[in-house]
Amino acid sequence: MKLSAEAQSVLETSMRINNTDDNERQEIEKVISSMPDDRVLLYKNVVSNPIGDIYRYSIHIRIQHMLTFVTFLTLAFTGLPIAFLDHSWAQPLNGLIGGIDISRVIHRTLAAVMVLSMVYHVVYLFYVSTKEILQGKFELRRSIIPTFRDITVFKEDMQYFFGKREQRPEMDKFMYKQKIHYFAAAFGNLVMVISGSSFIFPEFWAAIIPASSASFFQELMRLSHPHEALLALLVIAFWHWYNVHLAPGRFPMQWTFLTGKITREHQIEEHFLEYLRNLVELPEEREYLQNLLDARELSLDVEDEFKIAEEET
Amino acid sequence: MSNYSLVAVLISLLFINPAWGFEDDSGCLLCHKYPKMGRINEQGVKRSYQVIPNAFGSTVHRNVPCTDCHDYIKQLPHREVTKGVSCDSECHSIKNPATGKNFSHKPIYDKYKGSVHGREKIETGLEADKPYCVTCHTNPMYNPDEDAPPKEIVDRCVVCHEDRKFVTNWYKHTSRRIKEVKRSPAEIVELCSSCHSDKALVDRHVEAAKKEGRELGEKYAIAVESYNESFHGKVTKYGFTKAANCLDCHAKKDNYYMNVHDIRASRDPESPVHEDNKLETCQSCHIYADENYVQLDPHPSSKKEINPFKYYANMIYGWVGDVVIVLLITMAMIETWGRRRDGASFCMRKGSSWWRKSKKSKDRIK
Repeated sequence: MKLSAEAQSVLETSMRINNTDDNERQEIEKVISSMPDDRVLLYKNVVSNPIGDIYRYSIHIRIQHMLTFVTFLTLAFTGLPIAFLDHSWAQPLNGLIGGIDISRVIHRTLAAVMVLSMVYHVVYLFYVSTKEILQGKFELRRSIIPTFRDITVFKEDMQYFFGKREQRPEMDKFMYKQKIHYFAAAFGNLVMVISGSSFIFPEFWAAIIPASSASFFQELMRLSHPHEALLALLVIAFWHWYNVHLAPGRFPMQWTFLTGKITREHQIEEHFLEYLRNLVELPEEREYLQNLLDARELSLDVEDEFKIAEEET
Repeated sequence: MSNYSLVAVLISLLFINPAWGFEDDSGCLLCHKYPKMGRINEQGVKRSYQVIPNAFGSTVHRNVPCTDCHDYIKQLPHREVTKGVSCDSECHSIKNPATGKNFSHKPIYDKYKGSVHGREKIETGLEADKPYCVTCHTNPMYNPDEDAPPKEIVDRCVVCHEDRKFVTNWYKHTSRRIKEVKRSPAEIVELCSSCHSDKALVDRHVEAAKKEGRELGEKYAIAVESYNESFHGKVTKYGFTKAANCLDCHAKKDNYYMNVHDIRASRDPESPVHEDNKLETCQSCHIYADENYVQLDPHPSSKKEINPFKYYANMIYGWVGDVVIVLLITMAMIETWGRRRDGASFCMRKGSSWWRKSKKSKDRIK
């Protein structure tokens, strides 16, 4: 396979960061050169363990996800019946929890846990990023931070889905969908925390906001809390859960949130650039891929073979 | 004892039947015990004048003789009643044990008369819209707190007070009053709303004020609906009891029972929601409230003409939410459609999700 400039750059950076020696470098170059140009063949032919092959998320990230996930759902479960108590479904649900006197205490306690999980996440990210920066290992494109390239990638991916492109674009560890989701969740959490705190500490917010805007702010927050909650719940139910449970290849679920591992076919299909890093970092993955390429005779494209055959004749 | 005396005693026993629960000294029940005692009044309304002895005997007024309140009744059968009972009348049979004077509701009645709700019993026009004592105060016929006191308590009291009946009555009297007798916050809101959310009533007063050039409270016309939209209103409606209800802000704090009868207009300097008193009122719950805090609107409305900011913010929020969901679901559908065309199965099987035949690229080598 002839790598694109972006992929080549990712590979070079990874080999530099990992202090790859010459032997390994040759090995990596060999396996990459024997990969078919058509990446589709690669992710269609690998064998994956449904619970994941390649390590992706640390235990901290998994704990943070779990905390956010559990608190979010229980917050929605206790909060929405309060926000929409006029609706017929809300009364029995609120009664089930023990009425508003109980549900608001549960809601506020869980909110504190959710804030803690946010703090944990931010502190962890800060720690890991600082460490990587100091060690010269930090790569912006490998992080969740959106770049202009994401717009191109999104456009190309849509073109692929509509049949206007042969392959999906080469995407990094975090593809556009994950970046949208992450920042939507981060923004949503922030809105929920600020608006929720304006219910618990209205005096605090009134004190720091100019008197002329204090009432507007309070009203805006009262609108934001249920609107954002409902939006978040719908996004989670109809988009996130679809993506991780029901999208082709993901049923019954992607186990990444528990095992921290992603399946090989998924990594190659949607995170090819990260897979290149895996080839640098994981000798066993190189070996697996080389064996697969040899066994399935994928080293060259069918088209290439055709071309070679044509040249020979 | 002669036969005549015996008959007289038997007849008099009818009037002091202890099962009735109260003493009918004036013989009112002679007529008023009958269910069909009533008439159709001048407005065509059917009025019943029946007094059910056992029911009345359970009420707080059971010990007050009828003629203490109906003091215009001087003879039997009595003349046509024109004035009716006024709640500031003086009981001649019940003494106030603290002062030794005749018992009367006059102090609280005078307080009420000085409030924005104050009116005479018989009123017409706009004044008749205001509540009279009986609008809010019924004469409850049963109170579980008045059930017979526990024997051990009576046993203890009679050691000094001797009379079991006296002790039982005092126990009932006291227990009724020391237990929570206030309406719940939700009930208070419901009570105030029964007039303040009556659109016809509110419109009548708004119109009249406009005509007379009188000033009404800024939120007078939307008092109930805007309160229900507020944080206080919403949680109170759902049964939460610690959020402010109408009386928490509109009645002064020093003596709840007295001040709830002394509601004043917000322009009255005596009102706790008067501009000068708002901060102190807010601080009674929100102890850290400052001058800015007072600017928060406790009666917010989302009506376009009253609060365009909230109205449009709500609309924009709704639209943004809808658009986001539609876009994301569309994106997921496009992705699914694209990947399905390329041969992705929904379920991973034997280590791969790519067993289906692709319509656009190469298939998995089987």
